Amino acid sequence: MGFQYNIKDYDDVAVLPLVHDGEEDSELCRIMYSEEYKQVMSLVRALLTENELSIRALNLTSKAIELSPAFYSVWNYRYRILEHLLQEETLLQNGHDASYLLNKELDWLDEFTLNNPKNYQIWSYRQALLTNLHHHATFIREQPIMELMIDDDSKNYHVWSYRKWCCSHFRTYGHELAFTEKYIDRDVYNNSAWSHRLSVLKQCDVDFDQELGYIKGKIEYVPQNISTWTYLRALFESHSTPAKLVDELLIFTSQFLDESSYALEFFAYLNSLPEVNKPQTAIDAYTTLATKADPIRKNLWDHKIQLLQHS
Amino acid sequence: METFSETNLKKHIRFLKRHLSLLPASHQHFDVNLIAIVFYALESLSALGQDIETSYHDNIQWIRNNYISKTICEEKISGFVGGQTLNIPNAITLSLPNTLFGLLTLILLNDKEFFDKILDKESLSRFVSRCQLKENGSFVSVLDYKLGSPSPVDSHDLRFSYIAVTILYILGCRKEGDFAKYIDTKSLIKYILSQSCISGGFGAFDEPHAGYTSCALSALRLLNRLDVIPPSHRERTIDWLLARQVSNEGFMAVQDVSNEYYDEEDHGGFQGRENKYADTCYAFWCVNSLSILEPDYKKLCDTELVKKYLLERTQDILTGGFMKNDEEDADLYHTCLGITALKLIDDECNGLLCIPKHAACKFNL
Repeated sequence: MGFQYNIKDYDDVAVLPLVHDGEEDSELCRIMYSEEYKQVMSLVRALLTENELSIRALNLTSKAIELSPAFYSVWNYRYRILEHLLQEETLLQNGHDASYLLNKELDWLDEFTLNNPKNYQIWSYRQALLTNLHHHATFIREQPIMELMIDDDSKNYHVWSYRKWCCSHFRTYGHELAFTEKYIDRDVYNNSAWSHRLSVLKQCDVDFDQELGYIKGKIEYVPQNISTWTYLRALFESHSTPAKLVDELLIFTSQFLDESSYALEFFAYLNSLPEVNKPQTAIDAYTTLATKADPIRKNLWDHKIQLLQHS
Repeated sequence: METFSETNLKKHIRFLKRHLSLLPASHQHFDVNLIAIVFYALESLSALGQDIETSYHDNIQWIRNNYISKTICEEKISGFVGGQTLNIPNAITLSLPNTLFGLLTLILLNDKEFFDKILDKESLSRFVSRCQLKENGSFVSVLDYKLGSPSPVDSHDLRFSYIAVTILYILGCRKEGDFAKYIDTKSLIKYILSQSCISGGFGAFDEPHAGYTSCALSALRLLNRLDVIPPSHRERTIDWLLARQVSNEGFMAVQDVSNEYYDEEDHGGFQGRENKYADTCYAFWCVNSLSILEPDYKKLCDTELVKKYLLERTQDILTGGFMKNDEEDADLYHTCLGITALKLIDDECNGLLCIPKHAACKFNL
């Protein structure tokens, strides 16, 4: 049997038809199912009830998932079918090779992923495959789909989360600085790329001064960008805050006080630190934020001024 | 002044009622989560002041039909399935989110009989309990259809932690000790805190997200354990949330030239993450989060601007409903959260449960 859904393969199945409750008046959201949907769903319900773990069941789940990507039990069913097909005995019986089946599955999943970028199930399904069923999975095999998806939607939360999982699963962080740099070069406002860089930084054995130089360059390039200032602050806080660094950052930040609200906020924060302890300078920066740089948050900046005045 | 003009109110009601009646085949992908659709529509109608208790009384039985029990190794569990397509013999298809939506919908319809006589609290709590992962304390949304252990292919993000806690809260849990009878609260709290982000808020891979932030804070509030958030993270989270309100004033306006995801017309609305467009639903997630951390949040946040953004930018005055932003058609999810955000700002909504206060009060919630 091939790996294509063909309705003729299910002639002998006693279907479990979709039921409307009968009492039409009390039913909400009555969907006018297409014939194909009714056919596929009554078949998949029947095979699921019997827990038939077969190639035709696998083919049917492809069709069912295509028609109803959020059908959580069918994803679960597909996984159990695959698990069964990968058992040595079944492999021998069907004349299959495990890596052939697994690569076929990943190919199918790649194709489905490209067509359903916002689906929640794909990534956790993939994680389950790589963790429990696929014993020769590699980071390299995962790279193309992640890149394609991020190229298509550079801030796709699911893909970036998956990438972090991959790094940790395969214990490989070597590519990550270059990878995030590529997306930062395309769009310096890409907060997902910056966040990912931050989350892998500790694993990357990076030179602190080099990283500081990198982020300063990106701030100079576009000073009014929240992502870069957040990154700078996180980098600063990860350091043991020697006085020299505080001074350096005060000088660096003061260049942008006429054009960046985030520079003003960071400047106020630095001046509030015990090492600097210049509350009046901080208050002045918050006042500029409240009156000129970021008036929508006037109440927040006024609140921060009050806190400084009372301490 | 009333939030909605009479004409717009009528259009919203028509939009919502249409989603509860006959749906075309193009809505088939909702089939496995129908209970969610029913909740979004009925919650919105209720928030708009419609007497749904009377007008949808006859539909109660249909909703109750999605509450089913299953037996795993002689142990009974119960919960809701997303719709009758998932009512499959010999397969465990209960879903945590649809269970919450089902319970909330019956609360909206004031179905006391269900809660007093039909609901089996013990077996439902057992279902919730079985969804918790031993390895890190988080929750999945469904069980393996055969084994009844957490589904191996499901995700375990903060949404399901929030949903699990909320279900137990509805069942009567109030103090951490009440929850601890059914779930491992210590490891759950540890998991929630592990999702804290350096820059404030909560999310995965150190990128905070307003939706996950609302889930984390609501769950901790319902567990009565907001105290586990360190003061510094609380303050940063408030700052982070307030910074999500998009502005076109002062230095913010300069982004217009170079930031692809900046639109000055978004002024007053909330974005879900840094450097993203404002979006209707984040008005709810951000305002709800703020109100949990700071009951006096209106002293910090200009909520009138949020209302203006929702009413003038994402309200669809042609078809009724709310859009995600000004580029897409109105949809049910954004309609529900748009209306609910407006009601939350007017203090008429229980944001933790995302239902009108008057409905929550009838069940002492």
